[in-house]
Amino acid sequence: MLAFLKLLQSLVKELHSDGTPTRIAFGAALGAALGLTPIANVHNVVVFALLLLLNVSFGAGMLAWALFVPIGFALDPLFHQIGRALLGARTLAPLWTSWFNAPLVPYTNFNNTVVLGSVVGWLVLFVPIFLLVKWGIVRYRATYGERVRQSKFYRAVTASQAYNVYRWFRPE
Amino acid sequence: MSIAGSAPSNAALPAAVPARRRRGVIRWRGLIPIVVVLLAIVVVWLTMGEALLRNTIEEGATKFLGTQVDIGSLHVKLRDATVELRGVSIADPFDPMRNLVEADRVTAELEGRPLLEKKIIVRTLTLAGVNTGTKRRTPAAPAPRDGFAASTLRSLNEWGARLRKPIASFTPIDTIRAVVLDPTKLASVRRALEAGVRADSLRDALTAGYRALALQPVLDSARAVTTRLSGASPRTLGIDGTRKAVADVRRTIARIDSAKKRLESLARDARTTTVVLGAELQALDSARREDYAFARSLMKVPAIEGPDLGGALFGDVSIDRFQKIMYWAQMAQKYVPPGLLPREQPGPRRLRMAGSTIAFPKAREYPDFLLRRGDVDLGIGGKTAASGKYVASVTNVTTMPALVREPTRFTLTRRSTAGVVASIDAAGVLDHVGGRIRDSLGVIASGVTLPSFPLPGLPMRAALGEGTSRIDLLRVGDRVAARWTIRAPAVTWRRTDSVATAGSVKNAMEALALRVIEGVNDLEIVADLTGEIAKPSLVVRSNLDRILADRMRTVAGEEIAKAEAKARAQVDRIVDEKTAPLRAKADSLRAQGEQLVADARARLDEEKKKLDERLKALLPTGGLIKLPGEE
Repeated sequence: MLAFLKLLQSLVKELHSDGTPTRIAFGAALGAALGLTPIANVHNVVVFALLLLLNVSFGAGMLAWALFVPIGFALDPLFHQIGRALLGARTLAPLWTSWFNAPLVPYTNFNNTVVLGSVVGWLVLFVPIFLLVKWGIVRYRATYGERVRQSKFYRAVTASQAYNVYRWFRPE
Repeated sequence: MSIAGSAPSNAALPAAVPARRRRGVIRWRGLIPIVVVLLAIVVVWLTMGEALLRNTIEEGATKFLGTQVDIGSLHVKLRDATVELRGVSIADPFDPMRNLVEADRVTAELEGRPLLEKKIIVRTLTLAGVNTGTKRRTPAAPAPRDGFAASTLRSLNEWGARLRKPIASFTPIDTIRAVVLDPTKLASVRRALEAGVRADSLRDALTAGYRALALQPVLDSARAVTTRLSGASPRTLGIDGTRKAVADVRRTIARIDSAKKRLESLARDARTTTVVLGAELQALDSARREDYAFARSLMKVPAIEGPDLGGALFGDVSIDRFQKIMYWAQMAQKYVPPGLLPREQPGPRRLRMAGSTIAFPKAREYPDFLLRRGDVDLGIGGKTAASGKYVASVTNVTTMPALVREPTRFTLTRRSTAGVVASIDAAGVLDHVGGRIRDSLGVIASGVTLPSFPLPGLPMRAALGEGTSRIDLLRVGDRVAARWTIRAPAVTWRRTDSVATAGSVKNAMEALALRVIEGVNDLEIVADLTGEIAKPSLVVRSNLDRILADRMRTVAGEEIAKAEAKARAQVDRIVDEKTAPLRAKADSLRAQGEQLVADARARLDEEKKKLDERLKALLPTGGLIKLPGEE
C-alpha cells in the first residue's frame, strides 16, 4: 500500500512539475532501462548515474522503472530470443569474440542472452517511449492538469516531506 | 501558472513565480548521491566484502564440484592480487560424512590484467595442511537434484547397475515349489489338459457315429422277418407267398450287410481315434523331457566358472572404484571441454529469466580460468598405514585447454617415510587440447590399507588389510580402458555376526565355498573395464575364484546331479498326477469303442445267420433252383 501511495505521489508530482515534457520524457525513457533489463548489471549503474547527473526528471525515471518491471518480466522470453539470435549470429561472432576478450567489457554481461536482448530491446524502444511520454504529458497538462493542480488531493500530496527531497532532483 | 508544453501565454503566468534560471545539461547535485553510494560500497567492502566474497566462492565451488565446499575465512590482498583461504573442506560426493580434501590454508596468487577481462589466472596455488578422508562433524548437503553433479551421480548409478553381476549363489534348489504352485508351467501338463478335451470330443463323436448307424431298426426288422417266417415252408406259403418271403428275407439280409459296412467304417474311425490318443500320450513323454529342462533352468545352480565367480564376488567393489573415477572424468569433460567454439551455459539465477551465457574464447588470449602451477603439501592424518606427508603438484588447470595449448598434468608423491606405506605415486594427464579428449591416470600405492567389503551372496566379509593397489586408466574420446589391480598378501575373512554359528550355513555348497575362501590368505584381484563409456564391459578375475571354481566343479557336479534327480522326480510326480486321467480316458475310449463294435457285429451276424437259415428253408434245393418269377 505504501509503495502504491509513493508511486501515486511520484506520478502526480511529475505530471505537475516544472520540468519540460522533454526532460520528463527523457527521464522516463532512461528509467525504462532499469525495468526492462535485469537490474544487477553494469549498464544499469551507468543509466542510474545518468538519471542523477543529467538534468532530466529523476522521478519520471523511478516511475518508469516501476512501470516497466512487469513488462520486462513479460518480455524476457522475447529478449532471450533476440539475445540468442545476436550472440549466435556467425557474422557477429568475431565482434563478440573481440569484445568479450577486451578489458572490462565481460563485466557488462552482454554475453548473456537476456541481458543483451533486453538492452537492445530498450534501445529500440527508447525513442518510442520518449515520444509517447512527451505527447502524453503535453496532452495531460493541456486538458486536466490545471484542474488537478487546484484540487485538495494535489495539495495533500505536495505537502508531504518527501516532496522536499524530491525537489532536489526535479528538472530545473 | 505555466504549463510546460502548452501554448506560451504571458497572461497565464502567475506573478508569484519568478522566472527560472536556465541551467545546463548536467545536474551537479547528482554527484552527491553517487559519491554517497561509492562510499557505501567502500564501507560494505571493508566491513563485509570478504565475507560476501567467501559466500560467493563457496556457492560457486559447491555448484562447480557438485559437493559441499566450506571456507572458514577469506582474506584478499588487493595490492598483491592474492587470495588466502583458511579452513577449506570439500565433502566427498559419495559419502556425506567424510571430506574428500581438507586444507588449513589455500593461497592463490592471481595475475592482475586478466581480472579486467573477468578471467582468473592463478599464477601459483599453494595448499598447506591438507588432509584427505577426514570425518565431517555435520553431513554435507546433497547436491542440487537438477544440477550436473546430481544427474552425473544418478547416471553413474544406472551405469553401475548395468555392470553388476548376479550375486554368487550357493543354494542349489528351491524352485520346484514354484512348479508345484502352478503346474500349468509344465508343458506336459498343458498338453495333457488339451488332449483330455480332445479325448472327450472324440468319445462324443464315436457315440454319435454309433447312434447314426441305426442298428436297432435293422435288427428289429430282421427279427420280425425271422419270427414271421418261422415254421413257414413253400408248401404252406404257396409259390407266390414263398417268392415274397424270399424277397423279404433277401432285402433284410441286404440291410444287415449295409449296416455291417457302416459298422466296419465306425470301427475304423474308433481305431484311428485310438491311434490319435496314443500319439498324444507319446507327445506327453517328449514334453516331459522339456519339463526336465525347464525344471533344471529354475534351479539355482552355482556359478562355477572362474570369471563369473570373480565378477559375482568382487564385481561390486570394483564398480564402486570405477564409478568414482568416472565421476571425476565426467566432471573434467563438463568443465574442460575441448575445442574453441562458443560455449553456451545457463545464465545466473535471478528473479528474471536466467537466459544463456555464451563464452567466446579467443586464440592466444587468456582462458576464463587458468592455474599455471599449484603445489600441495598433503598430509594424511591418523595412525593408518598411509599416514604421512605427500607432495602433489598440478600444472595448467584450465577451463579452456585449447587456449593454453598444454594438457593438465598432476602428480602425487610421498615425501616422508612416516607410517608403513612403502610408496605411493600418482600421475595423470587431462589432454583436452585437441578436439578429442585423451585422459590418462596411473596410481600405484603399496602398503596402504585396502578396502573391506562384504562378499555378495555369502555371509562373509573380506578384510583385505594392507597391500598394493594400482589403477591405470586411459580414456580416448568415448572409449575407456581401465584396470584396477589389488594384491592383498594378508587377507582375513570374517563371517558376518548374524550367521556366525555353524548351523546357519545353508547347505553343503555354501559351507564348501566358505571353507575354500577361508583357506586363501593371499588375494589378487584384477578388474578390467573396457569399451564405450556408456556401456563398457567389466571382467573381474582373482586367484580366489580360480581355486573356488576348481573345488566347486568337483563337488558341485555331485550336488547338481542330486538336484537334477530331485527335480525330475518332482516333474514326474506332477505330470503323472495330471496325465493319469487322460490315459484312463484313452483306455476307456478304446475299450468302449471295441466293445460297441463287437457287440453290434455279433448281433448283426446272429440275425443274418437266422435269416440265411430261413432263406435255405424257403428255397428248394437250398436256393440252387430259382422260383418261377424270381429274378
